[in-house]
Amino acid sequence: MQSNAALEYDYSLAKKFTFLTILFGILGMLVGTLIAAQMAFPELNYLLGEYGTFSRLRPIHTNTVVFGFTVSGVFATWFYVGQRVLKVSMAESKFLMFIGNLQFWLYFVGALLATISLFFGFSTAKEYAEYEWPFDVVVVLVWVLWGVSMMGLIGIRREKALYISVWYYLACFLGIAMLYLFNNMSIPTYFATEGLGSVWHSVSMYSGTNDALVQWWYGHNAVAFAFTVPIIAMSYYFLPKESGQAIYSYKLSLLSFWGLMFVYLWAGSHHLLWSTVPDWMQTMGSAFSIVLILPSWGSAINMLLTMKGEWNQLTDNPLIKFMVLASTFYMLSTIEGPIQAIKSVNAIAHFTDWIPGHVHDGVLGWVVFMIMAAIFHMAPRMFKRELYSKKMMEQQFWLQTTAVVLYFTSMWIAGITQGMMWRAVDEYGNLMFSFIDTVTVLHPYYTIRAVAGVLYVTGFVMFAYNIYKTMTVGKVLSQEPQFRTPMA
Amino acid sequence: MDIRELQGYASFFMTIFLVIMLYGYIIHLYRSEKKGERDYEKYGNIALDDEVTSTPVEDKPASQRDYKEENK
Amino acid sequence: MFFHWLEKNPFFFASAISIVISFAGLIEIVPNFAKAAQPLVDMKPRSVLELAGKNVYMKDNCNTCHSQMIRPFKSETDRYGDYSLSGEYAYDRPFLWGSKRTGPDLHRVGNYRTTDWHENHMLNPSEIVPGSIMPAYKHQFSNLADIETAYAEAVTVKNAFHTPYGDEFQGTRAAWEAHKPKVLADAAAIAADMKNQDVKDAVARGEVPEIVALIAYLNSLK
Repeated sequence: MQSNAALEYDYSLAKKFTFLTILFGILGMLVGTLIAAQMAFPELNYLLGEYGTFSRLRPIHTNTVVFGFTVSGVFATWFYVGQRVLKVSMAESKFLMFIGNLQFWLYFVGALLATISLFFGFSTAKEYAEYEWPFDVVVVLVWVLWGVSMMGLIGIRREKALYISVWYYLACFLGIAMLYLFNNMSIPTYFATEGLGSVWHSVSMYSGTNDALVQWWYGHNAVAFAFTVPIIAMSYYFLPKESGQAIYSYKLSLLSFWGLMFVYLWAGSHHLLWSTVPDWMQTMGSAFSIVLILPSWGSAINMLLTMKGEWNQLTDNPLIKFMVLASTFYMLSTIEGPIQAIKSVNAIAHFTDWIPGHVHDGVLGWVVFMIMAAIFHMAPRMFKRELYSKKMMEQQFWLQTTAVVLYFTSMWIAGITQGMMWRAVDEYGNLMFSFIDTVTVLHPYYTIRAVAGVLYVTGFVMFAYNIYKTMTVGKVLSQEPQFRTPMA
Repeated sequence: MDIRELQGYASFFMTIFLVIMLYGYIIHLYRSEKKGERDYEKYGNIALDDEVTSTPVEDKPASQRDYKEENK
Repeated sequence: MFFHWLEKNPFFFASAISIVISFAGLIEIVPNFAKAAQPLVDMKPRSVLELAGKNVYMKDNCNTCHSQMIRPFKSETDRYGDYSLSGEYAYDRPFLWGSKRTGPDLHRVGNYRTTDWHENHMLNPSEIVPGSIMPAYKHQFSNLADIETAYAEAVTVKNAFHTPYGDEFQGTRAAWEAHKPKVLADAAAIAADMKNQDVKDAVARGEVPEIVALIAYLNSLK
């Protein structure tokens, strides 16, 4: 660096991706709440004609939350954390800034168009991989650009040792790249013939049982590498930084990393228990799911122990509250998942609402809480202003915590009720309930879940408002705070 | 030898290999700390002291020298 | 030391991660490919109309609420019929097993539901099944199914994966025009069992409403 001006971290990309995180967060959660309400009140299916049915909106909810909200959050925090732990500013390389901005715009436009395409029914019908092939190409391009800027930044770093968060971001990059590529392999039918039919349509390279295996190897591990790995990266940076306490055991974090990398990928077949995939694979998936508790809890306990001797911060810093609750929910969902992967439990739980319940205590409790905490931590540094309202953070925290508890408890009950009713037989061995009986009985739980959704979205809007106010009217800070985030 | 058998052997030996690697790694972590070669816990400070102007925990050019010495 | 070296070299470090995470896929998934793709003896691939129906099923994401996977439990075989076999799915691209049963399983729905039943049900599910939370799919009665794309799909899987479609399946427009009357005849056979006049008129004009293709597909699930 030849410039004489004092070198500073460049947060412009982190800011841009933060805006997208909030935008896609609101969008994804609103759609989620709407489809939750549709299950309780089916009339809500007709708000938008053919475009507003549960079946069209559900992929929009999942894809917007995974590839819109979470991935934006991962990018936003990477462009913040990456610079800081490598002790190098993005501003030091015009090339990296250019790549970063290109990535941002391509991602933003691509994500919007892909969402619209789902509205119109362009779907490959593979869960969390519904985007048709042209959007898969965009996803791959965005991912390659991210890889270039990540490797570039690592290449020009001052800090030789790679901090554990960087390990996790790298794994997120590599894991998603591999999974997404293999699962979305398909042949566009238009180009395989003399231009017959629709340009958009493609056919999967895998069929039947093989397709199912590849899909759930992907589906399960997209959860691993989008909802777990980068979120751990965030917690290993933001929790120590906010509390001023170094990670409890750095060695444990390294061991959990390799453990997680190795074990996670095996567990995918637990989505296919009792199906037509070979038994030994099902057993393997089951067994590795149990083993997965070890590295997961290794990380979670490490996070909680980081607060050792400093638990008083929990009472007076709402940000610490968000992160500790996130780690706790991580522990909960990583014990719940293996329980569901036990074959006999799975026989009841599979195909029921317990599964969305499990996903949501992980996602609402762990992923969203951690990303919001990260943004709360970054905002005063990015905008050089104090957080707008501590009181509002407290209210939001309790509102959303209540929402998560309502969500997963109602879905636990709904799932187990339905699973048991499907298999209930009378004294002569005949089925006791027709299918519709097992649907109508769930109405109260679906209603509770919809209410939980409304509460959660309200909390998220409060969060967005708080950040907006921070940007515009927060008290200006004269210098960057070191540890604890200042808030009014 | 059919593919199933091959698969079985591959899985078995790879698992053993990776278990050995993992334990090797644990032993490595604790031994190099005990011998004073390396203090892993100091890397935790990378997050705490992360200004662009602060001194790296391990400076890049300097540690490349260490690296050469280590490999003599 | 090996581990020190690994931790300090991003390139080799990234390679190490890649090896560790691809291990499971290599052992678990790849070797099974040839074996699991075997169809049942004498199994025929879907007709073009049924493929078009499958694409309607995918377009409206029926698989978000309906499974096509009957597990080997008595409670499931009593309710839905014989448990599913791997070979039955050999021509399914993608697989449509689903992961959630908000509605019942459909893998053998062709055995116990009729064209007539589906027609009424898709127009107003809660009238046929009181208490149903399934939305009505009225738009499938006016939207047209894309049979040309379905034909292109059949040709693609024939050429790329040797799915046993006949020699007449060629990727040319002339071949498609030659095959099209067959698709329309299949559609007419379905429409004959329906009572919606708009649908009948459309089929008479040589168009295929989505509902006709979808019912053809659902009837083929046996």
